[in-house]
Amino acid sequence: MTDLAEWVAENWTLLVIPVAIFVASFVGLLWVRRQAYRLLRLGLARVKWPADLLTRHLNASSLLWSMLIATGLAVAISILPVMWKSIIGKGLWSLFVISFALTLANVISAVVEFSAPQYTLPPRVVSMTKNIVRTAILVFAVLVLLDTWGAPTTPLIFFIAVAVLLLFFAFRDVFPNLVAGFQLSASAPAKVGDYIRLESGEEGYVTEMSWKNTSLETLDEKIIILPNSRLLNSTIVNYGHPLKTASDPFRFYSRTHLIEITGSKAGNLRELADTLKTCPEGVIYYHTHRFLEEHHYLSPEPSNDFALWVGDILGEIVLAEKLASIDTFSFPTLTSLRDRLVSIMEEHLALNHDGRQALEGREFYFMKTVSVIFPTPYVAHDLREFVESVRRISLGSLYYHIFESRLRLSRGLNDFTIWLKDSLDEDELGEEIARLDPYTYTLEGLRSSLIQLIEKRIK
Amino acid sequence: MGRSSIEELRLLGAKLSGKVIQNINSTFSGGGVAEILSRMVPLLSQVGVDARWDVIKGDNAFFEVTKKFHNALHGRHEEITERDLSIYMETNERNMKELQLYGDIMFIHDPQPAALIQRKNEIGKKWIWRCHIDISHADEKVWKFLEPFVFQYDAGIFSAPAFSRHLPLRQFLISPSIDPLSDKNRELTPETIDDVLAQFHIPKDKPIITQVSRFDYLKDPVGVIEAFRMVRKSISCRLVLAGGTATDDPESEKVLAEVQEKAGSDPDIHVLLIPPESNIEINALQRASTIVLQKSLREGFGLTVAEALWKAKPVVASAVGGITLQVRNKLTGLLSHGIEGTAYAIRQLLTNPDYARRLGQNGREHVRHNFLITRHMRDYMLLFLALENPADIIMI
Repeated sequence: MTDLAEWVAENWTLLVIPVAIFVASFVGLLWVRRQAYRLLRLGLARVKWPADLLTRHLNASSLLWSMLIATGLAVAISILPVMWKSIIGKGLWSLFVISFALTLANVISAVVEFSAPQYTLPPRVVSMTKNIVRTAILVFAVLVLLDTWGAPTTPLIFFIAVAVLLLFFAFRDVFPNLVAGFQLSASAPAKVGDYIRLESGEEGYVTEMSWKNTSLETLDEKIIILPNSRLLNSTIVNYGHPLKTASDPFRFYSRTHLIEITGSKAGNLRELADTLKTCPEGVIYYHTHRFLEEHHYLSPEPSNDFALWVGDILGEIVLAEKLASIDTFSFPTLTSLRDRLVSIMEEHLALNHDGRQALEGREFYFMKTVSVIFPTPYVAHDLREFVESVRRISLGSLYYHIFESRLRLSRGLNDFTIWLKDSLDEDELGEEIARLDPYTYTLEGLRSSLIQLIEKRIK
Repeated sequence: MGRSSIEELRLLGAKLSGKVIQNINSTFSGGGVAEILSRMVPLLSQVGVDARWDVIKGDNAFFEVTKKFHNALHGRHEEITERDLSIYMETNERNMKELQLYGDIMFIHDPQPAALIQRKNEIGKKWIWRCHIDISHADEKVWKFLEPFVFQYDAGIFSAPAFSRHLPLRQFLISPSIDPLSDKNRELTPETIDDVLAQFHIPKDKPIITQVSRFDYLKDPVGVIEAFRMVRKSISCRLVLAGGTATDDPESEKVLAEVQEKAGSDPDIHVLLIPPESNIEINALQRASTIVLQKSLREGFGLTVAEALWKAKPVVASAVGGITLQVRNKLTGLLSHGIEGTAYAIRQLLTNPDYARRLGQNGREHVRHNFLITRHMRDYMLLFLALENPADIIMI
């Protein structure tokens, strides 16, 4: 004890100087810290960032760094053995590296989080960015620490490089999709719930967006899984959110038909009128809609077979004109249409007796439509699904819902109007469609008009 | 056709799952029936319908008899002997024993195998008779002979309403069709067309008027030559008469000889006897033509008209049989009723190329919507379904 006291008495300067250096440098560093904070706050104010965005992460760290630097200086000028100095120096450096790495990771995370709303980055992109930065900084810090303590880092770097390469090759197909998924999330051309269409034709509601794939549900309830890279490289039309949902979905049916030969034929007007009175409704339907079905692409002005035969074969031009001018659209049922046809013929017969006789082989052959109706995969729950389905359904389906259901199934109105009014409360749109006279359009022209009306309503 | 239409065909096909459709006719090659079946059967399979095709066996004597039947059913007078009727019955009865009748739906084409229906009582099943002939004015002797067989069928199919008769069975109108992807109808390069013209030594120096059909009196090839010679008095042009023979048509060679004699050594008339499988050649000849003729005296349907219309060629055709379903006069072509009328129509088209082009384009659209094989497939599938359901509106 006496020896220690004597040694201290003789060498007190050797102790006081390092302590003085520690205190002086610590105080100096605190002053530098204060100035740095002031400059930092000014800079943050200039870029309109909150003042405490960075400082709250730096407060404790910067105090620790000041203490570590001051301690390091004090140790450096102390009389401690070189080996001790080296060990203490490495320890202090290691603490600094760990503290710096953690602080840097926190600061970058705070900046990314703060910037996310400005660049409309979705939460998972923010989260992924923060994780990547943290991992990279920590890996770098570990390498520095290992190097500091003399551990061989080259094999580790080699190992990491090999691991990265192996991962890259193992997931070389996935990798572009992951990158694309990141880009998609960042650029956000679509989100779950949107209805999108790709230039290559795929379309549907986005039901899921993972890092690798995006899932679409089509109108016929199929799921399309698209690699993100494909989505990113494609032109996308985004129609946005689903619209108001109908109380009952519209299920599209289609219809096609057979022509049945009834075996009846008429050689003059009297026979034509008499057979018309008793023939099945399918006969009336066939002969008033045949031209529309066969020549819908050529002429928007259909005529009925009765008018054509009376004019071309019997040469009764005036009667033919009367029959041709019957407005099929104005008749709600086939019975009323039949009555009108017969009454025009009867009026003519009352004044002109039985009229002319057709040549053999040119008689009027009564035929009837046998309709076969079947469901299609298309179902609409809202106006967007509805218009996209109308774009896709066959002409047979369009024909069924507009012509056949109204007149042959005696619904009085076309199916589209009924659904729009009853299930979607779209009375105005329903009325607009009901007012279209489908007999004055080609079927494709009718489809276009319907699409225009619905698109207009959606907008 | 669009995606939705193909989806509909598959849906109809699915409704027929489990049923075997057995088609039976008299030849695998030559003639419209074999041509349609060779396309139809694989296509039906592609949409899920188990359709198969068998052929009855017959010797020359049988086919000579059925050729007589064919002409008689079309209304031409033929001497039908008791021996002829025996040959028909013997051949059908032999085939009834040798041919396996395994279909759920037996689809019998034309009169040749019509008597196979005699096994209906034994094996049951649904039986359809597909008649490609106009039987409205059939020779009574032949009809009375066939009538008991026809009456047993569940349904009959005709190509035009006027072809049918009062029958105690449901009758349907189903037009034949063409396959746009077949060698006979697909697009050809100008080089291929030129090669075919060179092969047949047909120069391209004048408008070409063509009739493609079997050498058959009912196709009136001699009348075509007469009409052509009327036109050539005022307009320089060439005539190509291209035809083949079918194994069930022994009369072809006689008609061909008459045609060759009528054409003589006229360098503007090219009479070409083409083997049955020369589809590319027929396609090229039709595409090289300025006008296509079909001057039939009687016609079942006249598929060559649909082929020409599909190639957007202006067509002049007789107003007979199924041709009137394909050619709406002055809308998708011109109809004529005789040699003079045919010559007049040809002159109209040769002197008014814009009008001819418009008719050709309308004709192509008409075929696209009504006479392609997809429509034909659909009609057959609907008929198979309708056999189980007699209603006018069928929900499936």
